[in-house]
Amino acid sequence: MIIGHLDLDAFFAAVEELEQPELRGRPLVVGGDPHGRGVVATANYEARRYGIGSAMSCAEALRRCPRAVFVHPRKGLYSTYSDAVWAAVREVVPTVERTGLDEGYLDLGEVADDFARARELAEAIQAVVRGATRLSASVGVATCKVCAKVASDRRKPGGLTVVPPGREAAFLAPFDVRLLAGVGPRAEARLLAAGVRTMGALAGLSDAELRSIAPGKVGRLLRDRARGVDARPIELGGEPVSISQEETFERDVLDRSRLHAELTTMATRVAENLTLGGRTARTITTKLRYPDFSIRSRSQTLPVGIDDGARIGELACSLLDRALADRPGAVRLVGVGVSSLEPHRQLTLLEASTEA
Amino acid sequence: MVQVEAASGSAVNISCSRDELAQRLGLVSRAVSTRTAVQILSGVLLRAESGRVTLAATDMEVSLRAQLEARAEGDGAVVVPGKLLVELTRLLPDDEVRIESGAEESVVRISCGSASYQLNSYNPEDFPRLPSVEGTQTFGVDGHALLETAARVGRAASRDESRPVLTGVLMRFEGDKLIMAATDSYRLSVQETVLGGSTPDLEAIVPARSLTELARIAQGADTVEIGIHENQVLFAANDIWLTTRRIDGQFPNYKQLLPETFEHELTLPRGELLEVVRRTAVLAQRNSPLRLRFAEGELTVSAQTHDVGEARESLPVSFTGEPLEIGFNAEFLRDGIESLDDDELRLRLISPLRPGLIQSAAGNFSYLIMPIRLAG
Repeated sequence: MIIGHLDLDAFFAAVEELEQPELRGRPLVVGGDPHGRGVVATANYEARRYGIGSAMSCAEALRRCPRAVFVHPRKGLYSTYSDAVWAAVREVVPTVERTGLDEGYLDLGEVADDFARARELAEAIQAVVRGATRLSASVGVATCKVCAKVASDRRKPGGLTVVPPGREAAFLAPFDVRLLAGVGPRAEARLLAAGVRTMGALAGLSDAELRSIAPGKVGRLLRDRARGVDARPIELGGEPVSISQEETFERDVLDRSRLHAELTTMATRVAENLTLGGRTARTITTKLRYPDFSIRSRSQTLPVGIDDGARIGELACSLLDRALADRPGAVRLVGVGVSSLEPHRQLTLLEASTEA
Repeated sequence: MVQVEAASGSAVNISCSRDELAQRLGLVSRAVSTRTAVQILSGVLLRAESGRVTLAATDMEVSLRAQLEARAEGDGAVVVPGKLLVELTRLLPDDEVRIESGAEESVVRISCGSASYQLNSYNPEDFPRLPSVEGTQTFGVDGHALLETAARVGRAASRDESRPVLTGVLMRFEGDKLIMAATDSYRLSVQETVLGGSTPDLEAIVPARSLTELARIAQGADTVEIGIHENQVLFAANDIWLTTRRIDGQFPNYKQLLPETFEHELTLPRGELLEVVRRTAVLAQRNSPLRLRFAEGELTVSAQTHDVGEARESLPVSFTGEPLEIGFNAEFLRDGIESLDDDELRLRLISPLRPGLIQSAAGNFSYLIMPIRLAG
């Protein structure tokens, strides 16, 4: 297997710079309102020098760099650029798995017999993407997805990193465990608490140690990945029917504003997933679990599908309020889900007046 | 009529025919609140004053008041649970209905023939004050023109309460013209109607729902009286008064939303297009888009729903140039075509991701509709 992972550099910000050349060279943040509760979707490299990064609150970004320019995401525009990128990539490598607007895996093995040829192809892909869209992409090449993904992140922007066969575990060893596919915030906290900071440390755990830190199938899967063992093939299609996020609290939470904040953050992530798949959702569901483990959920279906994180968040919070009006009390888990997914997107007039 | 004054302490003694009560209650009870958070709003106010009896209901967005042909002894008021009163009245025998409530009582007695009821009532002092009818300056408007204009634009208003301005209809009287506009951000409809004479200039955003209620109460009325009282708009027709809250906020600048130039302009037979759209839309389920493909001399409308099936139908059109395919929400497109009643309509298009415009032949009605970005 020879797999490539392509990752566009600071994609949303790069598109904005192409569309508005006067923004070039200035710290640029694509995201929500810095005076409201928006979060950073993408920051360009100038802004990253100030320590601004994705998912940070825009208010914090503004504090770190008061002269940063903030622009609202224009998803329709990004998806047009993304389509152009992937159309160009497919000219070189026909089999690709888009995992987002700005990233995806490439089946290089299908068109390259060896790693030398794969490197040439990866360079060709970077060139066609730049030629078609003037966007810069970083590419990682390896025998498996987990290595290719870490590799594409290795020399950004515009980098190319090839991990030769047999060097997977050594390549991964120095990286932080949180960069490993499948390690979420909770898994990371447990690994760190056990002193496992790098992928190399995770790869070196004995079965007994692993069982105490991350028991079950998940632990073994993560250790395999840290060792560069990852048999996931390139996947084509397989449409999701719903997307959701949930959070179990360490202690039961009664504070309504804390619950709203959690839902708002989760809604942003759900919306990102929607946008990445080029989808909109008509049904928004909020789920909660009470301390007695009983589960309640409230849903609302809209006439038109949406992919806007702020709107999904608002709806999720009002559904939470409805559920808590029926049964007040602390909760041990909240979650946001979207369903009735649609591959098409109803455009809006107000958007047309600003994007046209 | 001035505000509803404190009326507890005075007894109510009203009698009228069952039919009269049922008919007037049928009109007024539409404003009874179905949300029970504020109990008094689920009631209907009956008020006797100088021999005249008024019925009133409000849900704080819309209020309705009507005179009741009734005999009343003395002045007084009572608030009766609305839903119960409507249901009872419907079932009562065709006879004289008597409604009584003693001073300081919190019950109302209703009797008709041999049937008698005693219902818990609400304190009329708690009933919201409604804008004064007599203290509001009004002007008369052609009722048919007003209702027709409202009926055309109303459907484009949003039902999403999170953006209140879009749940309203912009109503503007300007010289001898009435302009109404509504948008849910996916489509925009604007109708300009020339009235018989000029009116005072007035602009207000009113809940779309209030215009639906107005259409019911003002049916057949030659003239509708309109006035503004503080943050309320008052309509009067057929001896019924409707007041509605003005929606605060800035209505989108609809003139700016209407593109100035289009790439394509087609005249289409409205009835035939509507039939094609309706038939094809059967297979545009679960919000699937309706695809309109324009090619030399032909329009093909198609729809496809995953796991259900597909539909396709063509009709001749005077289209020239590069083929163009554009997707629309089936319901939005149908609404636009249905809002017209001419034999022909004008369809103007720019490109697959820019809005399309449906216009009446005379050009006084415009329905702008945003497309759906088609997948793949």
